[in-house]
Amino acid sequence: MREKESGTPALEALNLTKRFGSVTAVDGISFSVEEGEIFGFLGPNGAGKTTTIRLFLNLTRPSSGEARVFGLDSVRNSIEVKSIVGIVPDVSNVFSEISTTANILFTASLYGIGRKERMSRMQDLLETMGLSEYSEKKAGQLSYGLKRRLAIAMSIVHSPRVVFLDEPTSGLDVSSSREIRELLRNLKYHGTTFFLTTHNMEEANELCNRIAVIDRGRIIAVDTPERLRREATEAQVIQVEFNRVLDENEQRQLVSLGPFHKIVPMKDSYKLFTGDPEEAIECVFHFAFSNDLRICGLNTLKPTLEDVFVKLTDREASFGSHA
Amino acid sequence: MEVTLDAGVPQKPGVLSELMKSFSIAIKDMKIYYFKPAILIFGILFPVAIFFAFTVGRNVDASALFPGLIALTLFFSTTTVGPFSMPWERLNRTFERILFAPVSVSALALGKTISAVVFGLIMSVVPLLLGILFFGSRVSNAWVLFLGIFIGNASIANMGTLISTFGSKQPQNVMLLLNLIRLPMMFMSGIFVPIFELPHWARIVSWFSPVSYATDLIRCGLGFKDYFGPLISSLVLIAFGVLLFLACVLRMTAWNRGD
Ligand SMILES: Nc1ncnc2c1ncn2[C@@H]1O[C@H](COP(=O)(O)OP(=O)(O)OP(=O)(O)O)[C@@H](O)[C@H]1O
Ligand SMILES: [Mg+2]
Repeated sequence: MREKESGTPALEALNLTKRFGSVTAVDGISFSVEEGEIFGFLGPNGAGKTTTIRLFLNLTRPSSGEARVFGLDSVRNSIEVKSIVGIVPDVSNVFSEISTTANILFTASLYGIGRKERMSRMQDLLETMGLSEYSEKKAGQLSYGLKRRLAIAMSIVHSPRVVFLDEPTSGLDVSSSREIRELLRNLKYHGTTFFLTTHNMEEANELCNRIAVIDRGRIIAVDTPERLRREATEAQVIQVEFNRVLDENEQRQLVSLGPFHKIVPMKDSYKLFTGDPEEAIECVFHFAFSNDLRICGLNTLKPTLEDVFVKLTDREASFGSHA
Repeated sequence: MEVTLDAGVPQKPGVLSELMKSFSIAIKDMKIYYFKPAILIFGILFPVAIFFAFTVGRNVDASALFPGLIALTLFFSTTTVGPFSMPWERLNRTFERILFAPVSVSALALGKTISAVVFGLIMSVVPLLLGILFFGSRVSNAWVLFLGIFIGNASIANMGTLISTFGSKQPQNVMLLLNLIRLPMMFMSGIFVPIFELPHWARIVSWFSPVSYATDLIRCGLGFKDYFGPLISSLVLIAFGVLLFLACVLRMTAWNRGD
């Protein structure tokens, strides 16, 4: 058994790849997470977030590459890894037929926690997670939000060093989401490492120390939320429609005129990515005037997550292959 | 937050700890599944109905039917819980809960088998008691009878666990597969007609069914003529049990390869 060395990252992915037939769900990703960090995995549906978590727990085998938890290999040392990690899956898969307490006690027994210790941890968790009044209720009768809290309780009953949370607030209403985030922030003070997936930018921003943006199985950026947000504001979009279609030369000319990163032709309009929308609009008017074009529609759009992705996925390309 | 952190080096759990986990899994299954209607229908009503369908009207002493009835109940009850619970839990994704935890595949398979064995034991005792109390069944060799019921359950339950690893996540499909296997086996295991009364080829076929050996032990324990003898029957049952268990472990180990 490897000794815990200081400096061993809590989580480490080395060229981690998972293929399902012809689909590459996770495509050679590498990253590492320090102990005590809250690391966010931000990406759209099908990006490979859940698959990455499953690889760390040996619920699915890597096609190549390695996933390590405190230096332990997820495949070769899967039992040891599982004893120090907890997971809140994307579906609150609690045992509906038995009570809240029975769910927690059963989970604790799977980690080899003795009977007395089980009882006391169960009591603590019921309190922390605000589940005390539902302790004898069948888990199947709990509301969606309460089930999620129970799933979180079950994931930390063995005081894991790393907790994976797969979209912990998806499907919850605003106030339940806030409660869950509050709970997570409280857990954070105990030095536990968190790996959290989400497609909610604000949530990642609020909770995480660092965020990896993942798209189609690849990590396209790893940074602090502040810096990613700066990228996001650079990804503001104005959408403009002229009375005729622009040729490539004109498009290029338009981009060179103002603070534009990129132009993306849409069906009958153009999306212009910019860091400075006001200046950009002036340039558009100027361009229209000098080219004898009429502006039929002009909109400024708030950057969506997708816009940030568009920007991140091809930073260098300026011309729209990306319709 | 009161929960403290267990820092330190993770360790592989010992054998005893793994056994405790198996028991926890078994007890959880008992709470959830023993009283599900589908389990009670396929585990008890089904064999009892089949048995009477094939034996009513035959001109034999009632007590002579009981070894077969007990064996059939044992066979059906001990192989029902696994093939029901496993696809059900895979469908609801609660099965994953066990895979999240540091539980070895053998402890998992053992847990599933224990819950099946206990159910089978309880159910096989019911016709035994009925036979003794109301139909003049007589225990002539309690040890052999005990071996038949105990090893029989412990061995054949693994067949249920193994079947539960095949097929889809739909419980009804796994149940269908289960019955496709159980129904023909029922006729080649000396349940309705003692093995020595079968034609030569059918006798050879019966050697390959673990149920034949359990039936033989139960017959012997209740004072009827046996075919294999208690020693051979016990040993073969144990061998079947071990092989089936290993097959379960192999099947379950492969689960994380595909998805
Ligand atoms: N067991 C599987 N068999 C085949 N393909 C799979 C399997 N699991 C995932 N995939 C595919 O791998 C890709 C990544 O899926 P994954 O569930 O990891 O995405 P995700 O980022 O978690 O998405 P979501 O936000 O929808 O949860 C998808 O294209 C998905 O269809
Ligand atoms: Mg997912």
